[in-house]
Amino acid sequence: MEKAKFDVKGLLRNQQVILLLVLLAMAAFFTSQNSIFLTNAVFGNIISDWVPLVLIAIGETYVIISGGIDLSVGSAVGLSGIIAAFSMRYFTAHNVADNLSLFLGLLVSIAIGMVVGLINGFLITRAKMVPFVSTLVTLGAARGLCIVLTSGGPIADGPSNTISLSVPRVGPFSYPGIGVLVLVVILGLFMHKARFGRYTFAIGSNAFAARSAGINVNRHLMKVYLLSGALAGIAGMYFYLRLGVGSPTSGQSGELNAIAAVVIGGASLSGGVGKLLGTAMGSLILVTVTSGLIIIGVAANWNQVVVAILIAAAVFSQGLRTLGKKNK
Amino acid sequence: MTTRTPIYEARNISKSYGSVDALVGVNLKIHAGEVVGLVGDNGAGKSTLVKCLSGAHQPTSGQMFLDGQEVSWKTPHEAIEAGIETLYQESGLAPDLSVSSNVFLGREETVRGPLGRLGFLAQKSMDKKAHEDLERVGIAVPASNRAVSQLSGGQRQAVAIGRAVSWASKIIILDEPTNHLGARQAGEVLNIIERVKSEGFGVIFISHTLPHVLQVTDRVAVLRLGRLVVDKPTSEFNSETLLGTITGLIGE
Repeated sequence: MEKAKFDVKGLLRNQQVILLLVLLAMAAFFTSQNSIFLTNAVFGNIISDWVPLVLIAIGETYVIISGGIDLSVGSAVGLSGIIAAFSMRYFTAHNVADNLSLFLGLLVSIAIGMVVGLINGFLITRAKMVPFVSTLVTLGAARGLCIVLTSGGPIADGPSNTISLSVPRVGPFSYPGIGVLVLVVILGLFMHKARFGRYTFAIGSNAFAARSAGINVNRHLMKVYLLSGALAGIAGMYFYLRLGVGSPTSGQSGELNAIAAVVIGGASLSGGVGKLLGTAMGSLILVTVTSGLIIIGVAANWNQVVVAILIAAAVFSQGLRTLGKKNK
Repeated sequence: MTTRTPIYEARNISKSYGSVDALVGVNLKIHAGEVVGLVGDNGAGKSTLVKCLSGAHQPTSGQMFLDGQEVSWKTPHEAIEAGIETLYQESGLAPDLSVSSNVFLGREETVRGPLGRLGFLAQKSMDKKAHEDLERVGIAVPASNRAVSQLSGGQRQAVAIGRAVSWASKIIILDEPTNHLGARQAGEVLNIIERVKSEGFGVIFISHTLPHVLQVTDRVAVLRLGRLVVDKPTSEFNSETLLGTITGLIGE
């Protein structure tokens, strides 16, 4: 009988396995420096940071796989959270029950995120602007609106006790966190097992081939940017729950972290390649680095240096794997 | 020349881009089980004619008939639905997708039940069918779940032709299918075209490689400056006369 071989080399070529090893190594290092890292409270905090990042990073993954880029996700998080906060303040002032007010706030937040996505999609597919410029436009406009609408201050007086919703309930996960985890799994299945994901990969890989095969490329890209906006909207609401107010700075620089998570997760910025599990792990690595460095007392600015090294390492290993495949 | 009804016919097709006449009154007939070579110098109008026939562009004037019925295409998808598959000069494959994903691109099979309505794919079934379809036309690909980017140039072109053959029901248009291929790989592609012809498809073969045109076609149509100058059996040409007709050194 043939012996089953344990393919170590094959495993090490798998980006997700590498990411898991990096994550474990980081956890071991931070724990060795300060044992407090290995507590449920720290894990809960890491997961709380991870939830909004993974939401926008998933949207970004779809966009990047389709061959585009979405620089507006961070600003969309801020704007959707602000408008949701205004609407929830209105609902609360008109004696709408807290739970209903929160639910309506979530819908408003998603709708605002989708409006940003719609504008991106329109500029890219109709006005034929390149994604980088289109989403740079909405980045600036949405962030500017956040400041104009709030005068730079938080928007409070919404439903009471929202912060309790972001407290860990099941292991390190809060209830909304569990909801997001389920959403991540569903979006992963749609990306890798369903027609929606297949078309996204096809367009990013060769838009001409996708068009020749009868795929309505513009309509699909519009859906991709709408999805990215909707996920930014959910992230905006999550920030509201966490802070208890709408903050104009929520999601600031979120687009850079999202792109970093996607790249670390193994997606190619030229489109057609990527894995949602990789993005989920890439974003977990980013928030773990941030929390870990704070816990072991390293100055916050070093965080950016470590993230830069991680991105460079991810891109380098991706290049090596591509070369390996071609030489096979 | 045969008198049976052509499977696909272009009648008096003209196409202008602003003040430039890319095609002027072109007539072309393709019969079932026939390979028609479409040749001409650069700028002769070959690609424009292909785009009109495949629905990528709409002719400025003229008519097209499929199985004797007048047709007009607003999009390439309409032509595809009617049984006309086109392999364009630019790669028609998505290199990051697997062979079977490319073969089924735009026509994916979904699983049964509610998940199928949500677009969830029957990947195993597509892998198996893609392998069978490619084998049927003599295309050997290592594994249908392998990414196209990992195949050789010849294998990629074979997959692209196999894809067209799998889905075409009437006409296959091949725009420079042997371009950039080595002699052996080009030979394989020409064998596939012979096999496709024997299955009763009408094939339009566009190429600059005249030996390939002389080897695989039944009839040759020569375009010059947007006009069809010659349309006659391949047996009436040799390399020199065909080249002379293309360049205009030999009159029509």
